Amino acid sequence: MMTMDQKTFKRLFFEKKNGRSILKCIQCGTCSGSCPFGNDMDHAPRELFQLIRDGEMEEVLRSNTPWYCVSCYQCMTRCPKEIAVTDLMYTLKEMAVKNGFAPSHKMPDLYKSFSQTVKRFGRVTESLVMAGYGIKHPLDAMGALPLAVKLMFRKRFEVLPQKIGQPEKMKPFLTAGVEKEALE
Amino acid sequence: MTYLFFPGCAYHASAGYKESTEAVCREIGIDLKAIPDWNCCGATVFMGMDMDEAALLTGRIFALAEKTGNHDIVTGCNACFTTLRKFEKKLKEDQALQQTINHKLASCGLGIKKISRVRHLLDVFVNDVPDSAWEHGRKNSVDSIRAGGYYGCQLTRPEGELSHPEQPDILEQFISRLGFAPVDHSAKTMCCGASHAVPYKKQSGKLIKRIIKGISLKEADVVTTICPLCQFNLDNGQSGLPKGGRLPVLFFTQLAGISLGIPFSDLGLDKLLIPFKGVLKHRR
Repeated sequence: MMTMDQKTFKRLFFEKKNGRSILKCIQCGTCSGSCPFGNDMDHAPRELFQLIRDGEMEEVLRSNTPWYCVSCYQCMTRCPKEIAVTDLMYTLKEMAVKNGFAPSHKMPDLYKSFSQTVKRFGRVTESLVMAGYGIKHPLDAMGALPLAVKLMFRKRFEVLPQKIGQPEKMKPFLTAGVEKEALE
Repeated sequence: MTYLFFPGCAYHASAGYKESTEAVCREIGIDLKAIPDWNCCGATVFMGMDMDEAALLTGRIFALAEKTGNHDIVTGCNACFTTLRKFEKKLKEDQALQQTINHKLASCGLGIKKISRVRHLLDVFVNDVPDSAWEHGRKNSVDSIRAGGYYGCQLTRPEGELSHPEQPDILEQFISRLGFAPVDHSAKTMCCGASHAVPYKKQSGKLIKRIIKGISLKEADVVTTICPLCQFNLDNGQSGLPKGGRLPVLFFTQLAGISLGIPFSDLGLDKLLIPFKGVLKHRR
């Protein structure tokens, strides 16, 4: 579902905070070599930045790369050109989610379940996040059952949601009065 | 010493973090006052879905903290720590953002003027509590127990204000101060996979095994962590290893409690997946 042409997405990326910083990238690969999940990515960061510069935005936004980024900040600490790699991955995640490019990856489903729990209760309870995710990925949920039992034995399995005083106010606080454009 | 405490969502159900933090703070004379009605910090999730919402979530926390008086905000979770301090910086630097957040906060009768400083509990233990409190408080002789410190990613990165981003030593300082033998190893700030352990279990498993291997090669008896998610991943992630090759993974607050002679039952040690008890028998 390509809603925009590649050029527009490229322009939008460059307008984002630090977006233009990838023009400084010297393609040294320190980021990719430092990444704990670099081998699992469709395109590790060095390659991804080149694809953005080449304007291959559909490939970029559909790739699993931002979703494998775990926010360890190793790349950012080491980048010789001081590019805020991790922050740019947040930008790409947001662009992918808001424009419908992320449905084939698992991580966005976990993110959605997490953010829905926060919007509903103001706090996160792990069992609820897992339940929301498990509906879409039953095999992962089943695999976590033995662990759930172990946690129950240790009184660490919370069934009741943790919440703030007036949870019903959280969602309007976060979302009301904000024009959510498909493309930002 | 009074601090505003941001427990974070993972604190209560973790393997004795709450129990041991409370017990040790009582013993050492630290008063942690939970921020009334605190909400989730949004972690890395909200930053990756909607940066405006992420700013609002943290904005509400800073506003609630301000209402209570601008003490430092202390947290024991690396993810909360990095998320909050990221927005501490953003809100201080970006007046326009602060204005937008204040506009929304006003609808809840809240607002931000002065932003509290965000700190990790380990920082407070090492830099605010005098060394003598730990050294004189020692009741158990633990010098034969070798402890490998595990920092995870988000205590020292990206900025490295507290300790070196890749070769930190603040946790080792604390381990020594408690009387344990610190173990130097190469996996201190390697990533445990964080929440990737759910959708990408196999890939995260490799990272966890590498970390445990790195620490056990240096003949450590225990691992000590400073983050609920790191503790969970390292503890649970060893279930595939042979029993003899597993290392118990304790919170630094639990190590402190053991050194101070606080009864194990008050430190939540029974909540660990890999039991600690064997270590004492083995070493005595």
